[in-house]
Amino acid sequence: MGSQKRIAKELGELVQSPPDGITVELADESNLYDWKVHMEGPEGSPFEKGRFLIKLTLPTGYPFKPPSVSFATKIYHPNVTNDDKGSMCLGMLRPDEWKPSSKISAVLEFARQLLAEPMPDDAVEGRIAEQYKNDRKRYEEIARDWTRKHAT
Amino acid sequence: MNPLSPEEMERFQKLSNEFEPDVQGPLVSTKQSSHAIAVEYANADPTLATKTGTLAVTHPMTRIMKGDGNCGWRAVAFGYFEMLFALRDPSRVQRELARIKSLNTLMDQVGQEEHLYEIFVDATEDIFAQISAAIQNGTPDESFLVDAFNEEYSSNSVITHFRLLTSAWMKLNPHRYQAFLPLPLDQYCATQVETVRTEIDEVGLQALVDCVIEGAGLGVEILYLDRSEGEAVTPHQLSPNRPNIATIRLLYRPGHYDLLYRAEPTVNMAPVVNYQYAMTSNYSPWEQGALSFDVNPHLMSIPNLMADPSYGMAPSPIMSPVSPTPAQQSTSPFRVSSPQDMFHSPVPSHAPVPSTIPISSPPPPMTSLPSRSSDGPQIRLNPLVMKPNLSRSLPITTPFKK
Repeated sequence: MGSQKRIAKELGELVQSPPDGITVELADESNLYDWKVHMEGPEGSPFEKGRFLIKLTLPTGYPFKPPSVSFATKIYHPNVTNDDKGSMCLGMLRPDEWKPSSKISAVLEFARQLLAEPMPDDAVEGRIAEQYKNDRKRYEEIARDWTRKHAT
Repeated sequence: MNPLSPEEMERFQKLSNEFEPDVQGPLVSTKQSSHAIAVEYANADPTLATKTGTLAVTHPMTRIMKGDGNCGWRAVAFGYFEMLFALRDPSRVQRELARIKSLNTLMDQVGQEEHLYEIFVDATEDIFAQISAAIQNGTPDESFLVDAFNEEYSSNSVITHFRLLTSAWMKLNPHRYQAFLPLPLDQYCATQVETVRTEIDEVGLQALVDCVIEGAGLGVEILYLDRSEGEAVTPHQLSPNRPNIATIRLLYRPGHYDLLYRAEPTVNMAPVVNYQYAMTSNYSPWEQGALSFDVNPHLMSIPNLMADPSYGMAPSPIMSPVSPTPAQQSTSPFRVSSPQDMFHSPVPSHAPVPSTIPISSPPPPMTSLPSRSSDGPQIRLNPLVMKPNLSRSLPITTPFKK
């Protein structure tokens, strides 16, 4: 169906010309809807030198429903849930803000950008967001520490 | 029926004020009687009750759209394809397909990528192919289109295609729309047009019509059901200066669009009886402030509009023929027309009736309805018909007898 045609094209484009610091592959060659994404922590951020595994799941209703993005690698970040799900909350991925003309590579680039510049006002982890705003030094220490422990 | 309690009245009032479209039903319903809309509002605000009562006569059929945030987009898209099918002109379908595909350049110009939007165009193309095949095969009705639009993927794809075209068109013609938007056009497109379930607003609708529909030679008319004064829904033609071969009609209630279908001019609703009465009696208009039938252009434009709007909801006298009572035959200079006569003219041609109407006294406001009392539902009849001495002699009352 059209949905798969589009996913295949997007995957092809991402494999052929991957954005900076991002590589993608299918979690299972026979299933277009589950992707494994490897993301390098952006330079200059506390996640630098980290290599994060992200699970990208496309709903069967894609592209009319947004993909979901979750960190399989533990990460200390205001916009990623600090639990075993590691869900990343992106505005553009909310069902009512999602645009079927958005593409997965844009989602991934946006996610990587979010690592460099967290959005504390849109946080899912309020405590980390508070710390990011009020005690940036401590936040960066812990984030760097977690990156070293979990992402290398 | 028992009079409604204040609580019930309040509930109905709330119902009409906060109409919430059905989110359970099909994406696009089959064509159904718009009488149901009148019933829905029968005990609501009197203005809405009156307007929906009139609507059931002037636009007897409707098609309900699922209120999932796409109803306006879906109504226009479905109406467009339905109209193309109804015209049954294979070359027109081909021309339209070519025109719609040529609009891809609009999306390209604003930076939409083909490998992202092509699946939406594919779905639209598939609908065109179905229409062409249906015309060729002489498919009797549009149920194949209803099915296609109830298939989630194809419905969403066509709507997304039209949304992206509208967005691209607006971005390329900002001078036409920016002044009507409360936010920057790019932002409007990103948050209101290119999304999946943001309902269309008037500016978006105008742009959709300008970009996609108008070029097909189709018009779009919105009929507003609101509490403004008047006895009929307020019509608004979206591209009034362009000639069109057919018109897609939308019923608008705050936050929701459905499709409407006007009474077919060929359907005879036999208004003859009341005309006769009006012409053979000394009457005084029962509502001085009401707009006369002949100065209301919207009503005048409705072929064969009968005098009593509630009449159309009753079984047609043609279906259950009634013969005039002896009293009528002896007092009226006009006989009741035979059905053959009715098809030619609402006024029997053998009767020199127009000359009997004094110029200074316009015909009665035929569409007026009596003001409703709050003591419960009642059948609204033309006041003339309700006069007891007439109800015995005028056959029009017969359909209402139990």
